[in-house]
Amino acid sequence: MIGQVKKPIEEILEYLDGKKKIVIYGCGGCATVFHTGGEPEVKEMADILTKNGKEVLAAIAPPFGEFTCYAPWSKQRMSNYKNQIKECDAVLMLCCGDGLQVVREYVLENEFGLTKSIYPSTNPIGHMGGGPGLFREKCIQCGECELGKLSGICPMTQCAKGLLNGPCGGTRKDGRCEVNPDSDCAWVSIYKRLKELGELDKMREIMAPKDWSKMQRPRQLEVEPLSLK
Amino acid sequence: MAKSFKEVLKSDKFIITTEIGPVKGTNIQKMNDNIKNLKDKVDALNATDNQSAVMRYPSLGACLLVKEHCGEPIFQITCRDRNRLAIQADLLFAFSRGIENVLCLTGDSLKMGDHPEAKPVYDIDSVQLIQLVHTLNSGKDLSGNNLDGGVDFCIGASATPSADPIEPQLIKYEKKLKAGIDFIQTQAIYDLDELKRFVSYSRNINKSVKILAGIVLLVSAGMAKWMNENIPGIIVPQNLIDEMAEAPKGEGLLKGIEISGNLIRRIKDEAICDGIHIMAIGKEEKVPDILKAAGILEV
Repeated sequence: MIGQVKKPIEEILEYLDGKKKIVIYGCGGCATVFHTGGEPEVKEMADILTKNGKEVLAAIAPPFGEFTCYAPWSKQRMSNYKNQIKECDAVLMLCCGDGLQVVREYVLENEFGLTKSIYPSTNPIGHMGGGPGLFREKCIQCGECELGKLSGICPMTQCAKGLLNGPCGGTRKDGRCEVNPDSDCAWVSIYKRLKELGELDKMREIMAPKDWSKMQRPRQLEVEPLSLK
Repeated sequence: MAKSFKEVLKSDKFIITTEIGPVKGTNIQKMNDNIKNLKDKVDALNATDNQSAVMRYPSLGACLLVKEHCGEPIFQITCRDRNRLAIQADLLFAFSRGIENVLCLTGDSLKMGDHPEAKPVYDIDSVQLIQLVHTLNSGKDLSGNNLDGGVDFCIGASATPSADPIEPQLIKYEKKLKAGIDFIQTQAIYDLDELKRFVSYSRNINKSVKILAGIVLLVSAGMAKWMNENIPGIIVPQNLIDEMAEAPKGEGLLKGIEISGNLIRRIKDEAICDGIHIMAIGKEEKVPDILKAAGILEV
């Protein structure tokens, strides 16, 4: 999931300065889990904007499970609000940057032929897993997964320096990371697991420099479209 | 420094290195003074690379100053601030200006320094950096292209003999040995039994790599306690902290020089390892006093 936090309301109001009629669009996926763009947050934002003299033409909260970043769903749901979207001065997105850009490009521009001001209301802070309360970044989607050699712990993500060949000199006496004292040193964790699995030899193999070209942005994928029937 | 560091490493001499901490700015007077003062008293001078992630005059520039004074520099290079292209380019430049020794380091985290908002690089790590220097030494770049005019670097790395757990550090060190190094500089070490254990571990794997014990000059009991609490991999034993605390007011530095001198004397007399690397952070002018206290320089 895409971890995200709310932007300060002052920043959002600054974006909307001079825009009167607003459409709010949330997300039934990550933004619902992170309480940045689920039904309660969409409602709350509508109230705040109204109190600040805005006219909220539509406050749309997709149901849980309906990800805004999945274009077919956003197209379908936004089609029900086409008139309000046409009329509005700006669209405020309560979701991550993927959701915002999917709606801007695939829905507003390509589907409706509209060039509209569109603004974010969250700061996305990374792909993360866990829950229901605590989420942690575990994978940087490097395009070349090495977890098979590393006991299922990714140092590209867990190590503050992303080191591939063992710990730096910054492992604290309690086995924690010098940079992030709340986290265990990734390489102490990898060492402990490999030892327990009887696979310490894997840690002795020198890993070659990473092929960062696999992370050359923007990346894209084309797949057989999923049947939603 | 009559001999190149490479030649010193091949000899049986007790090796002595120290380091020059570059200035934040362009006032190179003190660096020049330290270089002039130290270059003939040690076998090589390290130039630190944005040490502690604090932006300063570059290590490469400090190495050039050492060369200008006919000293023998060791170019410290970290993986934190340069990608593989920049590292290779800097190494080519260094060698073309007579800088032939390189110390391959990971680099302290940006979070510890004075530009915590900067983007960290770590395109490669210290083990891969050692391999990269070997690749350049073979006449190729990291993509296999031929170099027009090659390099022949003497390669060093660092190690942390005091850590808990120690095994992950030792496995990393093993990889550095496997990648191929000529010398190792340890993190500051005060417990010589711990140093002996590390040396024995290292020599069991590779007898020829020269081991230089890291000696950090203590200046006060407070500094010793601070390092224990804040610098992973450094353990100052309580008896040394007590010795520092008992020093008369204003004589902490003298006590620190005496402690460093004693450590060096024991390392040399008992032939615990091949030499020492003195880190007198900000007090480089005291290095001759440490060497005198160790009985290496005449008083």
